[in-house]
Amino acid sequence: MTDEKTASPGRPRSRRAVLAGTAGLAVATSGCVRQVRTVVNRDAVDQLSVTIVTLPADGDREGIRLAREVAAVLEAVGVDVSVDMRSNEEFLRAILINHEFDLYVGRHPGGTDPDFLYEALHSVYAEESGWQNPFGYANLQLDDLLEAQRLADGEEREAVMAELLEELAREQPFVPICVPEEHRFVRTDRFDGWGEAHPATRLGYLELEAGDDVDRLRTAHTDARISENLNPLTAEYRDHEPFLELVYDSLATERDSEIEPWLAEDWTYDDGTLRVRLREDCRFHDDEPLDADDVEFSYRLLQDTELEDGESPSPPPRYRGLAAAVDAIDVDGELDLEFELDAGEAVAERVLTAPILPEHIWTERAAPATVRGVSVAQGATEAVTVDNVPPVGSGPFRFGSRTEREHVTLERFDDHFTRREDVDLPEASVEELRIQIDPRSTSAIELVSTDSADITSAILETYVLDDLEPAPETAPLESPSWTFYHLGFNTRRAPFANARFRRAVARLLDKDWLVEDVFHGYAAPTATPVTEEWTPEELAWNGEDPATPFFGSDGELDVEAAREAFEDAGFSYDDGALRVRR
Amino acid sequence: MYAEVLTRVLTQVAVVVGILLLTSIALFVGRGRLVETAREWRSRLRATAPAVAVLAAVLGLNRVVRWRGDEIEGAIGFHMTETFYDLEGEFVLLFQSIATEELTAYFSFIYVYGYAFLLIFPGIAYFALSDTRTFRRLLTAYSLNYVLGLAFYLLVIAYGPRNVMPEELTVTMLYDNSPEYQHLTREVNRNTNVFPSLHTSLAATVGVFAYITRSSYPYWFPVAAVLAASVAISTMYLGIHWAIDVVAGLVLAGVCVRLSGVLVGRQPVARFRRYLDRRPTPRDDRE
Repeated sequence: MTDEKTASPGRPRSRRAVLAGTAGLAVATSGCVRQVRTVVNRDAVDQLSVTIVTLPADGDREGIRLAREVAAVLEAVGVDVSVDMRSNEEFLRAILINHEFDLYVGRHPGGTDPDFLYEALHSVYAEESGWQNPFGYANLQLDDLLEAQRLADGEEREAVMAELLEELAREQPFVPICVPEEHRFVRTDRFDGWGEAHPATRLGYLELEAGDDVDRLRTAHTDARISENLNPLTAEYRDHEPFLELVYDSLATERDSEIEPWLAEDWTYDDGTLRVRLREDCRFHDDEPLDADDVEFSYRLLQDTELEDGESPSPPPRYRGLAAAVDAIDVDGELDLEFELDAGEAVAERVLTAPILPEHIWTERAAPATVRGVSVAQGATEAVTVDNVPPVGSGPFRFGSRTEREHVTLERFDDHFTRREDVDLPEASVEELRIQIDPRSTSAIELVSTDSADITSAILETYVLDDLEPAPETAPLESPSWTFYHLGFNTRRAPFANARFRRAVARLLDKDWLVEDVFHGYAAPTATPVTEEWTPEELAWNGEDPATPFFGSDGELDVEAAREAFEDAGFSYDDGALRVRR
Repeated sequence: MYAEVLTRVLTQVAVVVGILLLTSIALFVGRGRLVETAREWRSRLRATAPAVAVLAAVLGLNRVVRWRGDEIEGAIGFHMTETFYDLEGEFVLLFQSIATEELTAYFSFIYVYGYAFLLIFPGIAYFALSDTRTFRRLLTAYSLNYVLGLAFYLLVIAYGPRNVMPEELTVTMLYDNSPEYQHLTREVNRNTNVFPSLHTSLAATVGVFAYITRSSYPYWFPVAAVLAASVAISTMYLGIHWAIDVVAGLVLAGVCVRLSGVLVGRQPVARFRRYLDRRPTPRDDRE
C-alpha cells in the first residue's frame, strides 16, 4: 500500500525524487521514462458509484420512495447509484453502529429542542457508534457553536442557534428534506383525552380518561421491534414510541416542549449547578427502592457503559448528548443530588429526561458482551446489546408478557408515585396496556375500526390517510411532529467530505415536489432540521428552499445546470459520467 | 385480535379448500378408485411412509429456518434486490396495466385458496392410484422444492417488488386489498424470502405431474395447468415476486421433478423391501 501511495499522483515530489536518483545513470532515456511513469502512475479516476441505504416499503414506505427519487436525480447527473434495502434493525445497525454506507435516506428522531444537534454533529463523536454523529462530520466552527448554544439561554441562545443553523445550511452535513405529519387513528368511545399530550410520549397515554368499565388500553403498533427488544439503550430497536417511557421513569418529563418534574419533585438551577430532589419512597417494579444512587449510576452508565472512568469510554448509542452535559454528580443522602453541568438552564433541564435504570440490575451489564464464536466490537457491552426482557423500571407500567412479533403487554404499577393522593400528575387510568403488533397501517386501522384496538400507536403511513373515514366512535388524531426525513452523507468517504459536493447534491432535490409526490402532501418541506419555532426567518420555507434551491422546477431537474454545478465544484465529466477520485 | 384474525382466515381457507377438494375428488378421482383405496389404504400407507416422513421433517425444518434464518442469512447471504431490479426493471408493472377489480379478486383467490387446493389435491388423487410410485414421487418433489428453495432463501436476501415500488403496486398489492392474508403468509414467511418463488415452483411441479399422469386423470391436467399458470402470474400481479423469481421457480420445479424420478424407484424403498422379504414371516402387503 505504501508503495502505491508514494507513487500516486498526489505525491509528485517523491516520484520526482526517485527519478532524480536514477537520472545520473540514464540521462539519455530519463525524459522518456518520466513521460511513461507520469502517465502510468496516475490512478484512474472512475465514475462515482454510490449506494443509498434505506428501508424496504414494509419498514418505511416513504423512505424507499424518497431513496428511489434521490437515486434518479443522482443518475441524471452521471452518478452510478444502487439502492440497498435493509430491515429496520439492520438499517440502523449499518448507519449508526457500523457506518457502512455512502448515503442513506431515513427519518431522524430530531427533537423539540435543537440541542439534539450537539449529539448529531459534534466532531468528538465522529468515531462513536450511535445517534451521535453517524455522518462522521467534523467542523470546528460548528463545534464551537454547538457548545455555545448549550451554555446560553433565552435570546442569546436563539442568536447562537440562528448562526449555527446558517452554518449548517451552508455545509449540509446531511440534507433535511421534510417534516412528515404525524397522524394516528383512535377510538373515542372508550377513551377521552386523545391529544392532550403527544402520543409518542408517556403523558400522551397517562392523560387518557378511560370510560366506564374500561380497564384495558389496546394499541395496534405497526413496528414489531418493541416485541423483540426492550432495552432503552439499544439504538437499532428504538423508534418514535412511548412505551419504554412508561416502563422507565426519568427525573423530568416533557410536555409541549416544556420540561416538568416527574421522578424529581423539584429542582433549582444556579450557574451550572442543578440541585435535584427526588420523590420519597419510590420503588422499582421488583420492589427494590429507588434512591439517589440509582440516579447517579444511570448517568454514569450513560457516559460509559463500562463504568470505568477510563481513557476510552464505551458510551451507549442513545442519550449520548444529554449525558455528555454532565460533568459530575454529587449524591447527598437518599433523595438529593447535585449535578455539575456544562449547560445553561434550558439544556440542563433536558438532561433530566434520560431514563433512570436500577443499579442492582445494570451493574453486571457493564461487562463486554459475549457471543460464543463471534468477536465482539470494542465497547459493545452487555448494557447496549442485551434484549432486556423483562425490563425492570420504576415507571407507571410494569412489564407483563410478550410474544415476539405478536404483542407486548404492560400492567399498571400500583405503587407508582403518580397514584399518590398528594401528587398532582396524570396517572394510568387502565390496569393493562396491550401493544398489539400489526405490521400494516391498513390492518391497524381496521383493528381500531372494528373495536379491537384503541389507537394505531405508530405513525400511519401517508398513503392511507386520504381513505380514513370518520365514524362516530373513531377519529383521526394529528400531533405535532419533530422527526424529519433526511439524506445522510458518510463524510468519512470521498467525495462526501467535500461541502461543495454535498451542496450540489442538496440542490438536486425538489423538496416541494417530493412532499406532494411521496407524502401525498402530508409533510412540510424544510431547509433546517429543527422545529418551526427555532427556524430563523432567513431559513424559513418560502415556496422554495432558502438554502439550497432546486435546479429546476416541478420535479423536473435541469440536468445541464446541475452538471455545471458539479463542474464548478471541481468535479469533471467524461462521456456523461461524473468522475471522482476516491 | 391477531390470533382471532388468523383463526378466522385459517377457518375460511380450510372451508373453501375443503369444498374444492370434495368436489374434485367426486369429479376426478371417482367412485371406483375410492372403493379400492378404502380396501388398500393400509398397505399403501406403509409403502409411502418414508416419503411422508421426509416431507414432514422438511416442512418442520422449513418452518424453523425460515424464521430463524436471519442470523444465517446475515452471515452468508447476498443482498440481491438491486441486482434483480437492474435486470428486469419494472417488468412486473406490466400486469398493472391490465389490472381490474375482478382480476385482482381472481388472483388474490388463486394465491391463497387456489394454491392450497392445487398442492393438496394431487396428494389425494395419487394416493388413490394403486401404483404408489407417483404419490411417492410427488411428495419427494415437494420435499426437494422446500429444501432447495430454503437453501436459496439463505443465500439470497432480496425484497419483492411490493417493497421496492410500493406506490406503483398499490392497486393490486395483496396485503393492501386484503390485509387479513398478511397474517396467513406472515406465519410462514419473511419478506426477504422471494428468490425463487416457491409458489411458482410447487404449482409448476403439480402441473408437470398432472401432465405425466394425464392418462390416469385426463380431466385434471387442464385444470392443473390453468391453476398453476394462474399461481405463477398471481405472484407477479400481486407484487410479491419478481419475474426472475418466477423463472427460477420454474427451473426449480423442473429440477425437482427430474430428481424425484431418479430418487424414487418403482418399488417403495427397494432395498428396505428386499430386507423385509428375506424375513421368514410371509407378508401380503406387496403391490
